[in-house]
Order: sequence, then C-alpha cells, then structure tokens
Amino acid sequence: MEEQSKPAAKPANAYAQVHEVVKGDTLGKIAAKYYGDASLYMTIFEANKNQLKDPNKIFPGQKLVIP
Amino acid sequence: MTIRKNMTAGFLAVATALLLSACANQMEPAQQAIAGIDSAISAASADAGKYIPEQLSGVQTKLADLKASFDKKDYAAVLAGAPAILADAQGLLGAAAIKKDEVVKAMGGEWTTLAASVPGLVSAVSSRVAVLAKSKHPPAGVDLAAATSDSADAASLWSKAQAAFSAGNVEEAVTTARAVKAKAEAAAGALKMMLPGAAAAAK
Repeated sequence: MEEQSKPAAKPANAYAQVHEVVKGDTLGKIAAKYYGDASLYMTIFEANKNQLKDPNKIFPGQKLVIP
Repeated sequence: MTIRKNMTAGFLAVATALLLSACANQMEPAQQAIAGIDSAISAASADAGKYIPEQLSGVQTKLADLKASFDKKDYAAVLAGAPAILADAQGLLGAAAIKKDEVVKAMGGEWTTLAASVPGLVSAVSSRVAVLAKSKHPPAGVDLAAATSDSADAASLWSKAQAAFSAGNVEEAVTTARAVKAKAEAAAGALKMMLPGAAAAAK
C-alpha cells in the first residue's frame, strides 16, 4: 500500500501518453491494450519506477506513463 | 526670296541639329538613370522579393514604364521621372531589412515554443515505435511502418532545425521545426497515440 499513498508522478515529457489505472487493471492488461502484447508489461514498469516498486502492485487512480 | 528661303532652310537645319544634339545629350543621362535604378533594384531584390514583394513589384512596374519612355526616345520624361523611382528603389533595401527583422523576431518567438515542445513529441513517438517494434501483435489500426518512417524523418529533421538555429538561420529553423512537428504528429496518428501535450501545444 506504500505506492498508493504516493502522489501521481507528473510525466517529465508533456507528450508522454498517460494511463490512469482502473480497478482490474494489471500491467499486463495495460501492455496488451497499448502494445498488443502483454509480455511487454516490464516496459511500463520500468518507465514508472518512480511510483511503482512491484510490477504486480498497481492501484486505481495511479497515472502511469506509457512509453 | 532665294536668300530668305536659304536662311529659313539654314535655320531649320540648325534647329534640327540642336534638337538632335539635345536628344543625344539627354539619351546618355537617361540611360544612366535607368541603369542606376536597375542596379538599386538588383541589390535589394533577394530580400525585397521575399519580404516586401508588392513594394518591389510597384518599383519594377515604374521602371518598366520608364524604359518604355526611353524606347520612345522620350528622354526628358525618363530624366523627369527617374529621381523619384530611384529613391523608391533605394528604399527597398531598408524596407526589406525592417520587414525581415520583424519576421525574424516573430519567428524567434515561435522557435522558442517549438523548441520547448517538439523534442518531447518526437521522443514520445520514437519511444512508442521502439516498443511496438518488439510487440508480437501490435494493436489493430496501428501502422507501424508509416510511424517508423515518419518518426525517423522527424528525428532527422529536428537535427537540421537545431543546426539551422545554431547557424543563426531562424527562418529555416522554424520552417524545419514545423515540418518536424507535422511528421511527429503523423507518426502519433499512425500509432493511434492520444498525446496529452498535443492539444495544449496546438493552442
């Protein structure tokens, strides 16, 4: 729950696409949505290490940068 | 009567000679006046054609009229009209410089805006292209080939824009940066990316 208390990071690049996590989301689902390939979930995790500690722990309301 | 006829004929001959002489005397200054205007227009034509084309066209029209008078051997008209047209022609250089300065200043502001936004756009698009290149099944509707090409073009053009700006050529820098933005936006479209910064930058 540590991650949940952190404020959403403002993307360094104003043009970076941002996904707001909703209930039921996983990084795999998000990767599948944007990349068509769930196996690329680590790309999203790596880009959001400032707010994620564990790729299996994301929370509704979090705003993730989608590289 | 014969003496009077001879005197009249002599007078006419002298008058004709004087008239021809006067014309000949005016022809060379008229020619020089036209050459001077031609030269002033040539000196200013590059920038004047770019920044004050209508003013340049007006002076060129006046010069054409002057040349028409010259062709009709109306040298007096040429000499009468030439000083004003020469002044107009000489004014082209200064007027073009003032307009150029205004344009460059305006473009400097646009460059600042583009330099602050375009690299982020190019970066966002090229990152997505790189990730999708690893995807086994890129999302439906994504044209990765087009996006890859547009993204590469945008990156290459951005280097050119920066080089132009560094060399002091603000106009070329801005024109190229606009092309970069268009390429990157086309790539974003091909990738079906919804970029939050795009709407803000368009305002």
